[in-house]
Amino acid sequence: MASHAKVAQKFARQLFQMSVVDGVVSADRVSGVLEYVEKHNVANPVMVLKAYERLVSTELAKGVAVVEHAGAINAAVLSAIAASMTKKYGRPVSATAKPAPELLAGVRVRVGDDVYESSVAGQLAALSASV
Amino acid sequence: MSTVLEQIEQQIAKLSNKAVKKNTGNIRTVADGVAKIDGLSDVMYNEMVQFPGGAIGIALNLEEDEVGCVVLGDVSQLKEGDEVTTTGKLLAVPVGRALLGRTVDALGRPVDGKGPIDSKETYPVEKIAPGIIVRKSVSQPLFTGIMAIDSMIPIGRGQRELIIGDRGTGKTTITIDTIINQAKINKVGLASGDKNFRPVYSIYVAVGQKNSNIVRTISALEAAGALEFTIIVAAPAADNPANQYLAPYSGAAMGEWFMENGMDALIVYDDLSKHAVAYRQISLILKRPSGREAYPGDVFYLHSRLLERAARLDGKGSLTALPIIETLAGDVSAYIPTNVISITDGQIFLETDLFNQGIRPAVSVGLSVSRVGSAAQIKATKQVGGKLKGELAQFRELAAFAQFGSDLDAKTKAQLERGGRIVELFKQPAFSPLPIELQVAVLFAMQKGFFEAVDIKKVVDAALSLKSFFTTRKDALLTEIRTKAALDKDLEAKLQAACEEWKPTYSA
Repeated sequence: MASHAKVAQKFARQLFQMSVVDGVVSADRVSGVLEYVEKHNVANPVMVLKAYERLVSTELAKGVAVVEHAGAINAAVLSAIAASMTKKYGRPVSATAKPAPELLAGVRVRVGDDVYESSVAGQLAALSASV
Repeated sequence: MSTVLEQIEQQIAKLSNKAVKKNTGNIRTVADGVAKIDGLSDVMYNEMVQFPGGAIGIALNLEEDEVGCVVLGDVSQLKEGDEVTTTGKLLAVPVGRALLGRTVDALGRPVDGKGPIDSKETYPVEKIAPGIIVRKSVSQPLFTGIMAIDSMIPIGRGQRELIIGDRGTGKTTITIDTIINQAKINKVGLASGDKNFRPVYSIYVAVGQKNSNIVRTISALEAAGALEFTIIVAAPAADNPANQYLAPYSGAAMGEWFMENGMDALIVYDDLSKHAVAYRQISLILKRPSGREAYPGDVFYLHSRLLERAARLDGKGSLTALPIIETLAGDVSAYIPTNVISITDGQIFLETDLFNQGIRPAVSVGLSVSRVGSAAQIKATKQVGGKLKGELAQFRELAAFAQFGSDLDAKTKAQLERGGRIVELFKQPAFSPLPIELQVAVLFAMQKGFFEAVDIKKVVDAALSLKSFFTTRKDALLTEIRTKAALDKDLEAKLQAACEEWKPTYSA
C-alpha cells in the first residue's frame, strides 16, 4: 500500500511538472494530462489524480492573494496588494477579497503558505501570547 | 486611572503596524505523537512549530510535499486540517541556578508542584558540541565516593564514563551515590570558605522510567540533602516518545549553562537504551528507513552528538556525563551498547553474578576501564591504590585456577586471601559514598597489612570500625590528606600511627 502511494505520488509529480509552462500551471496542459489518465490504463488513477490535484492546487494558491478583511475593502486596495505581491514573489499574483468579520479590523493576506497578518484580531492574539 | 490608560496606550504603540509574515501549513495526519503537515514551505530543520490549542512541535522530517513534526503536548485536540504556523525559533529550555532542587519535564516546565521557576535565561536544546580549540584535557578528579571506582576506574571532570549492566545490577545506585557525594563535597567545600573550591552541580535525566522509580530517586537525594544541588529532568515511561527523545538534550542544555559560566556540572542519562527506543519509535512513525534492530541509520549520531557536549572548556567549567546503558543477559556486543561504548571515555561494567554473590557495587574489574580519568586521579589514591587493579585481576585468575585443585602453595594461598580481602573491602552499601580521604586511609591500612590478621568474612566489619575510628578520632588527619592530596613521609607516618592505634581497638 505504502509503495503504491509512493509510485502514485511520483507519477503525479511527473504529470504536474508537465503541466507547468514558464512557471505557471497551463489549463491546456492540465486538460491534456486528464485526457491521458482517462484514456490510458494508469495504475491507481484515483490516488494519482488526488496527488496531482494537491500539487496543482498548491501551485495555483501561490498565484492568488486571498485578502481576508473586516469591513469594506475597495478595488484600489486589492489591486495595490496584487501589485505588491507580484513584485515580492516575482510572478503574477491576483487578489481576491474574502470577508472575515472575526478579524475586527484590518486585513490578513494569504499567498500560498505565507500569511501576512495586519488585523486587530491578530495583534490582540500576539498581545495575549506575550503577556 | 490615567496611568492605567497610559500603560495600555504604550502597549498599543509597541504593537507594530507593519504586517507580520507567518508561514503556515495544515495537518494532513496525526498519529502516535507525530503530525504530517502540508505546506510549511519555509520551515527549518528542528524549528518549533505552533499547533492550535497551545501545543508545540518540532519539524524533524522535511520532505518534498510534507513536513513530519513530533508533537510535544496533548495531541488529542488536534485534527486533520488544523492550521500550523512556524515560529522561527529553535526549541529552548530554561537554564540557571533557579532550576536547582527542582523537577522539570523535557521542556523545562516544573512538575514538582513547587510553583513556577524564576529563570531568566534559556538555552537551545540542540547545540553543536564544543570544538577542539576551546577544550582542555581532563585533569581534575570527580569523586564518585565509591571506593572500587575512585581507586581503579577514576573519573575526571569533563569525562564521559558509561555505566553498563543488566537490569537490577545497581547502575542507578552508582549514579545516585555520585550525586550524593558531589553534594557532600560541595557542602564541605563551601563551608571551608576556600576561594578555589569548585562545586559540582548535578543533573539527573530520567528517560522512560517508571514514575515510582523517579520518586524513589528524588526521595533518596532529598534524604541525603543532595537535592539542593541537583536538577531532575523527568520524561517517564508514560510520557510521549517525543519528550523522551528530547529530555537528554534538555538536560545537556541545563548542564551547559553551568559549564559556560565557569562552573562544573555532572549529568546522568538514565538510560540511553530507552532513549534509543523512543527515537526508534519516532523514526518508524516518520517512515525513516530502518537498519539493524529496526533502529534508524542516525542512531549513532543521536548519542554521539549528545555525549560530545560533555567537555572541559579552557577558562570555563566542565560537564561530566555518566550515561547508563541496560544490557540483556550481559551482552555488551549488542547494537546500542557497542555504539555508546565507542563514544564514551570508558565504562563501568556491572555483573549480575557479582551482584548475586553479594559483591556490591558489582563492578567487574576486568571489563571496566577509564580511558582518561587516571590523569585526574589524586596522587594519594595512586600511591595507595595504584596496583589494586592488577592485583584483583591476578586474584580472579588464580581463583578460577584454584577451583580445580586443592593443593596450593603458600604464596598462591596468600595471594588468594589478599584478593578476597580486597573484594570484601570494596563492598559498600547504597547511598553511603565515602570521602576520598577516608578511602585513602582504608586503602593505606590494607596495603600495610592491617587487615591480614582479620578473617575474610570479618573484613567488612573491620573496615567499618576503621572508618568510624578515623571519622571520630582522626578528623585533623583526614583534613590533612584532603588538602595535601598526596602522601608524604610525614603523612604516611601519621597514618601508620593511627592504624596502629586502631588495631587494638578492633576485636574480631
